[in-house]
Amino acid sequence: MKKTRPLIVIGIPGDKRTGGIQQAGSRLGLPPAIIIPYTGLLAGRTLAELLEAEGFPQRTAASLAGPSAPLLRLDSPGGSFEVERALITLGAPDAGDCRDVLHPFGQRPDPFPLSSRTAGKLRDVPGVLHHPSQWFRGYCRLLARLREEAALLLPDSKWLNDPQDIADMTDKRRTQQLLASADVRIPRPLSAEQTLEDYSSIREQMIRQRMHRIFIKLACGSAASGVIAYQVNPSTGAEIAVTTVGVENYITRPPIYYNSGKLRRYTDSRTIAGLINWLCGHGAYAEQWIPKSGAGGTSLDIRQLVVLGKACHSIVRVSTTPITNLHLRSRRMSPADAGLSGETQEQVRNTAVQALAAFPGSSVAGIDVLVSAGSQLTYAADVNPFGDLLYNVEYQGFGTYEWELKQLIKEGHL
Amino acid sequence: MSEVKLAIGYDEFEDGQRIETAVESLSASPEAASLSSLIIGDWGQAYENSSEDVVEALVKHSASFPALRKLFIGEMGYEECEISWITQSDLSPLLPAFPELQSLTIQGGNGLSLSKLEHDKLEELIIITGGLGKGVLAQIAASELPNLRKLELYLGVDDYGFDGSLADLLPLIEPGKFPKLTYLGLKNSEIQDEIAIAVADAPILDQLDTLDLSLGTLSDKGAEVLLASGRIKGLKALNLSHHYMSEEMLARWQSSGLPADISDRQTSDDDEDWRYPSITE
Repeated sequence: MKKTRPLIVIGIPGDKRTGGIQQAGSRLGLPPAIIIPYTGLLAGRTLAELLEAEGFPQRTAASLAGPSAPLLRLDSPGGSFEVERALITLGAPDAGDCRDVLHPFGQRPDPFPLSSRTAGKLRDVPGVLHHPSQWFRGYCRLLARLREEAALLLPDSKWLNDPQDIADMTDKRRTQQLLASADVRIPRPLSAEQTLEDYSSIREQMIRQRMHRIFIKLACGSAASGVIAYQVNPSTGAEIAVTTVGVENYITRPPIYYNSGKLRRYTDSRTIAGLINWLCGHGAYAEQWIPKSGAGGTSLDIRQLVVLGKACHSIVRVSTTPITNLHLRSRRMSPADAGLSGETQEQVRNTAVQALAAFPGSSVAGIDVLVSAGSQLTYAADVNPFGDLLYNVEYQGFGTYEWELKQLIKEGHL
Repeated sequence: MSEVKLAIGYDEFEDGQRIETAVESLSASPEAASLSSLIIGDWGQAYENSSEDVVEALVKHSASFPALRKLFIGEMGYEECEISWITQSDLSPLLPAFPELQSLTIQGGNGLSLSKLEHDKLEELIIITGGLGKGVLAQIAASELPNLRKLELYLGVDDYGFDGSLADLLPLIEPGKFPKLTYLGLKNSEIQDEIAIAVADAPILDQLDTLDLSLGTLSDKGAEVLLASGRIKGLKALNLSHHYMSEEMLARWQSSGLPADISDRQTSDDDEDWRYPSITE
């Protein structure tokens, strides 16, 4: 067996991601990856302590430095309420660790911040968006800490995706800024300003720029969390918001916003304004609504995985609604079955490769690519640092994790 | 059969492209002479600009399309424009301009008018809306379409422009109104039960092959009367798809042996409350 670098994965032990990586590694005859749990890091234990607890480097007889220094992979912190709560706590204004160096807009205060004490007492209510911006601040703080610890402890190690890039990819405002400066085609932003103020300024901008149909997105949301397909009728002033965000209204306290599995359609200005203002408070990004190509009244977009500069696995997500994420019951198809021409498929791959190249510290990402219905031009809509959890899709006979590991070995990164 | 679709997307419209120019270039192209079906999609920000320019351009160049039999005005999806926001106009000038036309499909009821709905050869009239105004219903009632075989109206809801009532629909099912009609669709309606009850025993059923009451709010109330009708037994197809009937009622349809499409049952609380965590993919 060829000697490889040890792989350290920061993630959630036993979830589909870390599980998938272990499975892929064992199929390739690699020693198991060392899984460092987010919960341990968030409980205040250092990377060194957690590695030691995993018997590293003694058990694997690996060295921390030199050519066999480890490869570090960050995986998604999602899917665990415990981790979510701990990140919101870490993002609190009174948290001990206040290094916002990786936060692309760290200077901008979060709305109604929760103290670490209050954050620590949050209860798990399925789907509720407890405090997205404070969650993101906490995550950026954790990323900064990890980056620093790794630099000291494992100076010769490499990151599969640099924590700085992960912070940037998780903030859509920053992602689109980086894509634009790398000349990747993106849907036209509503505003050159990086911060959207509120409902009325958004409407004013829409009318002024004649951009009557836009997508408004929570800057740090993923999985269609906090996404609104919003349109204003310039003739009548009517408005429609189709969104994943559900609202629970109360008389005595502010509304609660949650991720609804069924798309909502709001037409009354009060609800829409409340929703948009809430998103803006937490940081939002708005862009032109590109009419997405799709046969027979459907919408589609493509999740294209890119590994080490090469496009590999892709799935087309076909929906009867403007929001195509798979858990919202979109259908998945292969690009050919979805009717994308060879030329368009090639364009999709190129756009995705270009998009990842805008993040030079990163080797793997899932890019969401749109194809405009009329022109068939491709646009990079989102860059997902953890976008490689794709089920039942193969590229040259391999699943996503297996393909990544093979490429990393081939290129000498592992 | 040859078919062409013309559409002007948002960006193209902003760039100054216009549907009338597209119609004109098509009329000058070699395929114009044999074109049998023309689809007009978004004519350029259809929520703001009406189809008037489309109509004018088509009338102006109608002589270049001698083979045209099928016309669709306003084929666009929610990715381009909400159906209820599509701004139509008076489309009746199209009829004398294309005397050989057999099929006319219209999408969008906003601003729609068919002021002089007269045509000797038209066989199909399909109007797809989120809400069809009673003014248009009255124009259809006053129409002269002796050859009409298929009338399919998506009636829609009050919120989006359906301001009529059953009384506005009754003239359409008068015997003799459309002597050749074999397909009647009064569908996508919020008064689907009332419609079902009104047509269940109407004499017009005797001439129909297909009755289409789909996509609306049909419940057991309307279904009960339909099932009890002797007249529906002569139908070759009864489309009730997308409905709110009970399981028991569906069982009755199944055992009736009638050619009814009872697919796509709606339940009012279709996983209304399913919520998902933020980070799942």
